[in-house]
Amino acid sequence: MTDQLRVITRRMVEHPADSHTLARYEATGGYRQARRALDMGRDELVELVKESGLLGRGGAAFPAGLKWSFLAPARPAYLVVNADESEPGTFKDRQLLERDPHQLVEGMIIAAVANEVHHAFVYVRGEYPKPARRLQRAVDEAYTAGYLGEGIFGSDYDLEVTVHLGAGAYICGEETALINSLEGRRGEPRLKPPYFPAAKGLYMMPTIVNNVETVSNLPHILEMGPEAYKALGHEADTGSFLFSVSGHVNRPGNYELPHGLTWRELIYDVAGGIRDGNELKTWIPGGASAPWFVPSDHLDLPITKDATAKAGSMLGSGAVVVMDDTTCVVRAAERIVRFFAHESCGQCTPCREGTTWLEMILRRIESGAGREVDVDLLLEVGGNISVGLAWPPRMTTICPLGPSAVSPIISITKYFKDEVLAHIHGNGCPLRGAQR
Amino acid sequence: MSDHVTVTIDGRKLEVPAGELLIEAAQEHGTYIPRFCWHPRMKPVGMCRMCLVELETPRGPAIVTACTTPVSDGMVVHTRNETVQRMQEGVLEFLLINHPLDCPVCDRGGECPLQDHVMAYGPGESRFVEEKRHFEKPIPISELVLLDRERCILCARCTRFSEEISGDPLIEFTDRGNGVHIATFPDLPFSSYFSGNTVQICPVGALTATAYRFRARPWDLEAVESTCMHCTAGDRINLQASHNEVVRILGVDVEPTNQGWLSDRCRFGFQYVGSPDRLTVPLIRDAEQGHTEVTWSEALDLAATRIGEVLAGSGGQSVAVLGGARLTNEDAYALSKFARVVLGTNHVDAQMDDGLDPQFLAATVDRALISDLDSAKAILVWGPDLKEEHPTLYLRVRRAAQELGAALVVVHPRRTGLDDRATHKLTYRPGEGADLLTELVAGSGRASQARQALAEGPVVGLVGRTGYGEDPRLAEAVAAFVRTLPDARILPLARRANIYGALDMGLAPTLLPGRVSVGGEGARSIAEAWGGLAEHPGLDTRGILEAAAAGDIEVLFLVGADPLRDVPDGALARRALERVPFVVAIDQFLTDSSRLADVVFCADGFAEKEGTVTNLEGRVQKVNRIVPGPGQTRPDWSILDDLARRLGVELGFGSAEAISKEIADVAPAYRGVTWDRLDWEERDGIVVPDGGEAPLRFVPADTPGTRAGGDLVLHLARVMYDDGVTVRHSPSLAGLAPGAAVHLHPDDAARLGLASAETARVVTEQGEATLPIRLDDTLHRGVVYVPFNQPGMPPLGPGPAVTVTPA
Amino acid sequence: MGVMSELWKGLRVTGRIGLRSLVGRGIVTTEYPKEFRTKPQRFHGRHVLNRYPDGMEKCIGCELCAGACPAQCIYVRGADNAPDDPNSPGERFGYVYEINMLRCIFCALCVEACPTEAITMTHLFEMSVTSREEAIYTKEELLMRPDGTVPHPRPDDPYADLSELEVADGWVRATAPSGSAAYEGVKMWQDTAGPASWDPEPDQETRDA
Repeated sequence: MTDQLRVITRRMVEHPADSHTLARYEATGGYRQARRALDMGRDELVELVKESGLLGRGGAAFPAGLKWSFLAPARPAYLVVNADESEPGTFKDRQLLERDPHQLVEGMIIAAVANEVHHAFVYVRGEYPKPARRLQRAVDEAYTAGYLGEGIFGSDYDLEVTVHLGAGAYICGEETALINSLEGRRGEPRLKPPYFPAAKGLYMMPTIVNNVETVSNLPHILEMGPEAYKALGHEADTGSFLFSVSGHVNRPGNYELPHGLTWRELIYDVAGGIRDGNELKTWIPGGASAPWFVPSDHLDLPITKDATAKAGSMLGSGAVVVMDDTTCVVRAAERIVRFFAHESCGQCTPCREGTTWLEMILRRIESGAGREVDVDLLLEVGGNISVGLAWPPRMTTICPLGPSAVSPIISITKYFKDEVLAHIHGNGCPLRGAQR
Repeated sequence: MSDHVTVTIDGRKLEVPAGELLIEAAQEHGTYIPRFCWHPRMKPVGMCRMCLVELETPRGPAIVTACTTPVSDGMVVHTRNETVQRMQEGVLEFLLINHPLDCPVCDRGGECPLQDHVMAYGPGESRFVEEKRHFEKPIPISELVLLDRERCILCARCTRFSEEISGDPLIEFTDRGNGVHIATFPDLPFSSYFSGNTVQICPVGALTATAYRFRARPWDLEAVESTCMHCTAGDRINLQASHNEVVRILGVDVEPTNQGWLSDRCRFGFQYVGSPDRLTVPLIRDAEQGHTEVTWSEALDLAATRIGEVLAGSGGQSVAVLGGARLTNEDAYALSKFARVVLGTNHVDAQMDDGLDPQFLAATVDRALISDLDSAKAILVWGPDLKEEHPTLYLRVRRAAQELGAALVVVHPRRTGLDDRATHKLTYRPGEGADLLTELVAGSGRASQARQALAEGPVVGLVGRTGYGEDPRLAEAVAAFVRTLPDARILPLARRANIYGALDMGLAPTLLPGRVSVGGEGARSIAEAWGGLAEHPGLDTRGILEAAAAGDIEVLFLVGADPLRDVPDGALARRALERVPFVVAIDQFLTDSSRLADVVFCADGFAEKEGTVTNLEGRVQKVNRIVPGPGQTRPDWSILDDLARRLGVELGFGSAEAISKEIADVAPAYRGVTWDRLDWEERDGIVVPDGGEAPLRFVPADTPGTRAGGDLVLHLARVMYDDGVTVRHSPSLAGLAPGAAVHLHPDDAARLGLASAETARVVTEQGEATLPIRLDDTLHRGVVYVPFNQPGMPPLGPGPAVTVTPA
Repeated sequence: MGVMSELWKGLRVTGRIGLRSLVGRGIVTTEYPKEFRTKPQRFHGRHVLNRYPDGMEKCIGCELCAGACPAQCIYVRGADNAPDDPNSPGERFGYVYEINMLRCIFCALCVEACPTEAITMTHLFEMSVTSREEAIYTKEELLMRPDGTVPHPRPDDPYADLSELEVADGWVRATAPSGSAAYEGVKMWQDTAGPASWDPEPDQETRDA
């Protein structure tokens, strides 16, 4: 069995009872790096993070240091931590917020100092009341201790932190929709260009939007230095990575791992293999938006950003959803598409109308009322949302939500066309009864 | 050409201005990129995805929306290649899957951008076999607008208009995903003064206007471009009629005036033209029977006989003419010449004692253009609430403050529509404006910050009377102050229809046609052309009414004038009209005033005659005819011509166009203005004097009069919808008047023991009324606000002294 | 003598037809109005405004017929249906419907333009009137009665053939230029409470046979 790394999850594993308290956090070396950061300037910190090769953990895997260096010079600038973790299959941020909130706060102080930010926000998913409570308590503790507020750590640096609870929209995980929501507007993605957050973000000011996991890594980068941090990972994929493995495996859960394992190792060794001795049918490598992998083609592929992209999918936020051979793929796809249709903000035409239409067609196929032309229709409707059904998608939409709904369509028609046709010819699911 | 870049659109290399949006650049060079949500007057949002094009980039072809992408040098764009065509078909198919396709009963059917785009760019058939989205349809979202959510394609044009342009965001999207729809807020209708614009810019028939609903189809409409005569901005409109009935007005996008927008009063106020209450035959009043219908000859003979007797007896001094603001310039000129030459009187006034010095309005120095607002660094609005009285200017000032970064200072006794965009807002008590002006001039007291905001030019000052309790000379004093500011220009404000044209044609006691003052430079040549002028000093409306009430006026002409309702002191007007022995009215309706007239001539009105009008910046534009007048109506000039002939004078008016030629000959400021130029080369109008001379240059002076005010002062001001004759006879608008009420500051109400009272007795020197109380904490303390001319309200008079007691 | 020979030529025709009628073969004259010729199936006679079987008017007042009319003889005005007592399905109905039969050229473009099959044509062609006003058929005269019968201009005329109003030109739709061969043999119109039961257009093979 592959050993797990213990970097950002170390404290919660070693001290499960009180890892979320300030006392435990400080007792285990907390807030030292934030103090150090105050003595370093913006340039030094940005350079450090660039050297560490830290990639954004929100799904797009954009280099964090590079993102910081793009911040426009206008001030005030804002830092927004994206804790609106809503991608089906992802549950890593929840654990970080709930079990080690001070690690996030310290990371926020570092990110704030590096970007000359004096007001930072955490946008927590609306369905996460407990993590939000824990985080708020940690922020309050930090304020009381003088680590937040006016003159943090006795310096002349001011930093306010606001914890904001979302209202239950998946799309608010998209950074510009999140900013809109934070401003009190409808959670609809903004146009990029011109509204790149680094230039015109929150309140039209330069804004850094980082994921919880990304920010939580910062104290460790400062502590161990960029080189050591880099060495944790695998080639370009530096540091550790939290995989949220769920579905038909024997041991679902969050695993902190380096990149570079094979999928076989992850599914069979780390997660304990498929439940009830069933066969692996397919898995989603990086959240509901990602095209699926199948055992015949991908089981021995190394888990790296590049290898996954080459195989036509993505690691995204590290949500691995495993499906065994009792799974009806049409139903699985229908469920995912229904999710995206429900969560579409409704702003742009192809996503609003297209995802709903896809859902209707899939539902018809699943219920046995499908027609043979529907397979082509699915692909053509999908192609009007994501041109050429390419990966990464060429979107006709404003944000990637629409094309996300096309991924399962591509996957089932590519790998499971016979099963789809069996639904059409056989008036419904051939697996009916075998399902659990 | 550093400000130009080269782009390649569909293989054609084009030089286009840098920074322009791709969709505009392409269109200017003949490549139309289909669109729904993009509107040239609003910010792009890229929502409908109809304008997707393919760009060649170093990283391969990229898909972008042409409405959000500025052109850059070397850009290579494909707007009709296979990928783009497929995307266009895809978007249209998506838009149609939930569109009800009830085109045959949809008002938009036949002129619908969605229909047109589907024909031009769409797929042949839909592959959608599921059930469409359903909503209850249509639902009224205001008195004027109906919403059909099934037809809506969610382009956000209407919501953006309300937020970006008109500043009353009363409609918004609600829900998400496939359930997104337009909604109003609970218990809050879409009661915007500009709601009709959303109907015009809606790319489908989702928003329809009650006034036009099911009245006509696009293919049976006749249309002509004209100019709106409701407010004085001179909005360019498209006047549309079906089967000899005006059915719709659309805004025309012209840069100098309205930029395509219209207020609802402009847009729906046409309905009075086809009202069954219009006068269709001349009337004579009989002591016993009231008005009886007569032939034109009978009416003209009677009028000529009585006028002839008076002229032979006491001369022109005892004859007076009120009105003329609703006329075209040609008719106004005819009236002016008729009064001066035939009647021999200078007692002529087109203003109803509610405006400013006519010379200030017609011929102030440093007069601004509306478009100057766009380049202004600072704007001072010290006058009426623009939203209520000058809706087009309101939109323009709003845009200047909101989008173009102008500092905006608003001075008014209570809240105005511009307050939310004002950099500084000052309130004051009518009658104490001079004190506030002194502070503003000195930059002291509470006006110090406002003064600083006005320090950087160019400055545009919009000055007018904030209300009828205000001394008209205050506006001149404010204008005099504005002239001391850097690079300053002034727009003196008056609100009644073609009042600027009427004044330019000499319908004021001190003015002659073409901005010539009576007895001043240029008057001699007019006297020569006309063969003589009246000599005696003229009286203005107030003077005429006072003289009439005293029995000194024997014949009174009312030309499209309703002094009983329009003069602030309505009681004085009634005394005057009842005292005058012979009243002649030329009107379209039997108004409260023309009901007292002995002879009533029925006249052609708006949309029934051709002519020119002049707006508040001095822009002359054409109004056009699209329907015939009802019954036996005639144009005003022709009535006056006949009357003059019976009085032994040949005025020589053959047609409105012939009069326009005479104006160009006689009126100095109008030299060179011809219908040909206005019809063809210069459809946006000609700002006069255009090469012609302007003998009168009125320099506003700082002589603010003061008026006594007691404990409380009255602020009597207009609102958009009142009980005026055009609103009353336009069914769509008739119910929109807010109703008579007295507005009190809560502190004043408490002081007067009216905090919980429902009604109050309001008494001024000129009248009294019992009115419902509205508490309004935006009022300056000590100010009592009463909206003017509301249905069922007795004339209260301008005050300014007022007492309010429990009813 | 040229005149005589021409006269002879003419009399020969008269004589030939006279002789033939004596014998009783090939007579072409029918004794209209006692007798009617059978009119072709696609004969364009006066119009009728149809109803749905539930009695609702089919006309929605969309004015497409007026727009399509080359003679501009149709005048339609739409109005809002009362929500609780609608005249037609949907929001709008034909409030005024007039056809000036003096101008009408019976081209049936109105029938083609109609999106609801509200207007169709019958075989009635006798529409003589004594004044121009009478020639303007109003909605009252055009609209089918709730019982499915159509008002006849002179029902009491002994020579009136009321059955003419029961024949509708159901052929127009299937043979319209915008139509498609695919619709041959397919009944392209809805069942109506109308006077005639319309058979589908036969397909090409049947027709050629």
